[in-house]
Amino acid sequence: MEKMGVFLCTGCEIAEAVDVAGFEALCGENGAQRYATHPCLCSAEGLSAIRAAVEGGEIDGVLIAACSPRAKATEFAFDRTKVAVERVDLREQVAWSHEHGHEDTQMLAEDQLRMGLARLKRVKLVTPLVETIARTVLTVGGGRTGMQAALAAADLGSPVLLVETGTRLGGYLADVRYLVPERPPYDRIVPNDIREMAARVQAHPGITVHLSTGVERIDGQPGQFEVALRGPGGATTVKVGAIIQATGAAPYDAARLAGLGYGVSPNVITTLELEKMLNEGALQRPSDGKRPDRVAFVQCAGSRDEGHLPYCSSECCATSMKLAAAIHRDHGDVECAIVYRDLRAPGQLERFYKAVQEQPGSLFTRGVVTGVSGNGTGPLTLTVRESLLGDEVKLHADLVVLATGMVPRSADGEAIRAYVDAKRRAEHGDSEKVRKDAAALAEKLKDHAGTEILNLSYRQGPDLPVLQHGFPDSHYICFPYETRRTGIYAAGAVHSPMDAAQATEDAWGAAMKAVQCLAANSRGEAVHPRSGDLSIATFALQRCTQCKRCTEECPFGTINEDAKGTPEYNPLRCRRCGICLGACPERIISFPEYSIDAVASMIKAVEVPDADDEKPRILAFMCENDALPALEEAARRRLTWNAWMRIIPARCLGAVNTVWVADSLSTGFDGVLLLGCQKGDDYQCHYVKGSELAARRMSNVQETLDRLALEAERLQVVEVARDDWAKIPTIFAEFAKNIEDVGPNPYKGF
Amino acid sequence: MVMVAALEIRPSDGTRAALRAAGATYAARCYQCGTCSSVCELVTRDFTFPRRQMMLAQWGLGGSLARDPAVWLCHACSDCSTRCPRDAKPADVMQAARAVAVEGFAVPRLMGRIVSRAGATWPLLLGVPIASWALLVGLATGFAVAPHEVFAYERLVPHSLIYAVFFPVAAYVSLVGWISGRRFWSSLAGGERRRGAFLSALVPTLVDIILHRRFATCTTARSRRQGHLWLVLGFLGAAVTSGLLILAIYLMRAEMPLGLGHPFKLLGNLSAVFLAVGGWVLLRDRLAKRRHVGTTTAFDSFFLGVVVLVIATGIVVEAARFALDPRVAGWLYIVHLGAVMCLFLTTPYSKFAHILYRTLAMAHERMVASGRSVASRSETLDGSLAHPTH
Repeated sequence: MEKMGVFLCTGCEIAEAVDVAGFEALCGENGAQRYATHPCLCSAEGLSAIRAAVEGGEIDGVLIAACSPRAKATEFAFDRTKVAVERVDLREQVAWSHEHGHEDTQMLAEDQLRMGLARLKRVKLVTPLVETIARTVLTVGGGRTGMQAALAAADLGSPVLLVETGTRLGGYLADVRYLVPERPPYDRIVPNDIREMAARVQAHPGITVHLSTGVERIDGQPGQFEVALRGPGGATTVKVGAIIQATGAAPYDAARLAGLGYGVSPNVITTLELEKMLNEGALQRPSDGKRPDRVAFVQCAGSRDEGHLPYCSSECCATSMKLAAAIHRDHGDVECAIVYRDLRAPGQLERFYKAVQEQPGSLFTRGVVTGVSGNGTGPLTLTVRESLLGDEVKLHADLVVLATGMVPRSADGEAIRAYVDAKRRAEHGDSEKVRKDAAALAEKLKDHAGTEILNLSYRQGPDLPVLQHGFPDSHYICFPYETRRTGIYAAGAVHSPMDAAQATEDAWGAAMKAVQCLAANSRGEAVHPRSGDLSIATFALQRCTQCKRCTEECPFGTINEDAKGTPEYNPLRCRRCGICLGACPERIISFPEYSIDAVASMIKAVEVPDADDEKPRILAFMCENDALPALEEAARRRLTWNAWMRIIPARCLGAVNTVWVADSLSTGFDGVLLLGCQKGDDYQCHYVKGSELAARRMSNVQETLDRLALEAERLQVVEVARDDWAKIPTIFAEFAKNIEDVGPNPYKGF
Repeated sequence: MVMVAALEIRPSDGTRAALRAAGATYAARCYQCGTCSSVCELVTRDFTFPRRQMMLAQWGLGGSLARDPAVWLCHACSDCSTRCPRDAKPADVMQAARAVAVEGFAVPRLMGRIVSRAGATWPLLLGVPIASWALLVGLATGFAVAPHEVFAYERLVPHSLIYAVFFPVAAYVSLVGWISGRRFWSSLAGGERRRGAFLSALVPTLVDIILHRRFATCTTARSRRQGHLWLVLGFLGAAVTSGLLILAIYLMRAEMPLGLGHPFKLLGNLSAVFLAVGGWVLLRDRLAKRRHVGTTTAFDSFFLGVVVLVIATGIVVEAARFALDPRVAGWLYIVHLGAVMCLFLTTPYSKFAHILYRTLAMAHERMVASGRSVASRSETLDGSLAHPTH
């Protein structure tokens, strides 16, 4: 911005910590045209001074040198389409965390102001993108979750299009007679009301149902999806705004459980088969049609087992108890044994567990069923190890029911894309080795061929990316309803293993997210987690080298590419994390408030003392989602840290371009530290892939440092969580110690 | 300790239903937290209960329960039941296990079955002895009471008739108890290693029993321990009095009935007071459903009913001699004799059998403990002392 005004707060100990007398001159030297101080800037008086300057047209950029941007956010909120705002933290990062009146504290405050002004000079006003938004929500899947999501979205006022590949609504519950209790008194099975629900969906004026219909292709972006459907009436194309994928789960393939007798004895069946049997009529042994006197339920059949499903599906225990209760209702004298490893009856289902336990025929026992012997029509014997008495126990039964877990009905979009790419390389690869390796990869991925569900025309693959175990979950802790495709939400058992009651809640969550996304789209705002951010990225495509890093690395599949590999940005898919900006080697991607140039100029604005002064400087890029709030927490608790640190907030560690590291070292910084979230399977990154990408990029930079005869120790990436505030001063101190050992940056002063 | 037989759960073989019917109504609630075993004051290093027995009851392993001495080491004080977080009532389950064990070791089995179903069969169990006595008395004396200064029951029921009935009954009970006891004892031998002579374990066990030392460690059931102690002393006193009376009749040639000041008479009356007080305490606790009293099943109420009937008719009969018409008193005496005979005959099959099984189990425990202390002395040397498991 051209006309910058600095508003400095002297309250909250800032004036006690540093001598503010020289700041007006310093700001003037760094381009500020106006300077004012106030003892309480967030007061009505202080705020009206800022507003008067903005509205009078004196300034178009406001630098608020006061508290952290996470404090007083409402007070210091300005319309970013009219005025650029930079918050410089003199309270948490200076006055509350450093020795008052010390020379180093003064230097820190001055550098904070220089960095703030350097950045403000380069940020741009935000121009919101306002487009025509389709309000329809597409629900894929007509089971309980899909129907509930449809009802919820329709009741929230969005038209809903529900497509189901099957011939009826209800999903697997259509074959089920009773349900696990979902409301008080939680102690008895309840009749399945899925038919009534289906009737409500069919009758709802806001919901259009297409049965026997599949999704052939989805083009576009949230608010503007074009969906090609193929059903009994032929192909149609519809415009929808958001999508809820409620494709549910399939039971684990019991054919792989021959060790438990499935396929060996006809009297070993799965819970779903028993559901169907009870729904259709009589309880009987498949071998001879006789009623069994003893039924044994085997929990965790093919679950929590590295050879099968490694996870717990969380609902099989309640389902087995439900079936035992259903059997008891009609056949009070049939004994139902439930052999569990750890019985799960979450929440109020404990009451149900107790009630089923007290049925005269119930026999609950802990143990691991290691085998079921007996074949043909004879009685079956279960071998139970690890019983609570430590002994091996034999359990006799006439019918064995395997409680199999859930396999999500998802498609691994990224794997499908990888398969397609590998196939292409295997045919057209440059060398024999490339072709051979690609063929091997394609062979490994061949199970993914033809599994498409949504058929998205996204560069990163036609379906939602999956995380652990094939579930398209995303950031379970912070954003349980998000996926890695903006505007597309997974709900129900495809999302994570859950029972019908949880699926109902999940459907509500997804429906609300879908409606929220459409509202944000219509205002040009980002959705979670930078909710309300109006800025969008710009690509200086004339300099693009078609390296495809941005299209490959965007965690949200925002960027498609044309035939040559030039990025095609879809702003409505974008979450504004800046990971593309961090990826781009040509530095052609920028956001109005976050750009390569703006951050580089902050780095260069720091006055780095000479090596003789023995005042090293360390630059820390800190993730503003977790690491920076944790640092401010440390300040609020009055922890102090090394005054050599200079801190630059990053939208995500993935949004740190390696050029900034080079800039820092050439400016004379002695070390560069990156603090961000945990990566890996239990990642904490708000943008899923950011920390992982940062770690990879920085290890490449460390190799480069080695080549430049600079010590790799000068660059370090550290994972911290939001509650690690107490550790951060130690992390700084240890890094500073290492830097001291390594010695001053030899490029200092060049 | 080693589990000899492989555990086999056969749902629907009837054992679980039998245990439920015998009072283990809530065994299924148990989730094996072990609170019961940790609060039980009677658990020893070798025998922990009732957690394990809860599991066996859930599984319906009646055989394992019957062979388990721990079932009898429990004194049903309800320390566990009052603290069970799931209200599974372990004390009731142990009681049911004892009932099922008594039936299992019964000789002949038919008697065991009849007495175990006392809820339905009690009129038969009580009626047959009373009717038999009425018949015997009718045959012997035709209910004719010879006129005399003081009415004495011997005029109606000669001593010889009492001997003719009760000596064979006592012999039968002893024989049957011997056989059942032998079976129980050898079934226990399949489990833990015993050491030492049976008699040297039995004597201190009997001292423990008479002084109610084990019972005294229970915290919930203090009043029951008191009542039980009174009752045991009363029964002992009554038994001693019976022996002394035979002495008095045949060696001392004393005039019958003895005068009220006679020391034997005093002992008998003192025993009656003990029995009355003890019986009243136990009956009161059970009728008031005190929290330490578990669920009352037919197994309990039949036994307690017969004991109370014996005590009540005994006291009433003594007073009736002076207060009532000899004919009425005579009939009351017949009821008393019938009740005593019922108590005798059902002893090996009723709750009374705990005298036999608990005594044996406690002796077994002593012998196992001494076996272990010898074994552990040698095992600790090589550091291989393992915590015993069942």
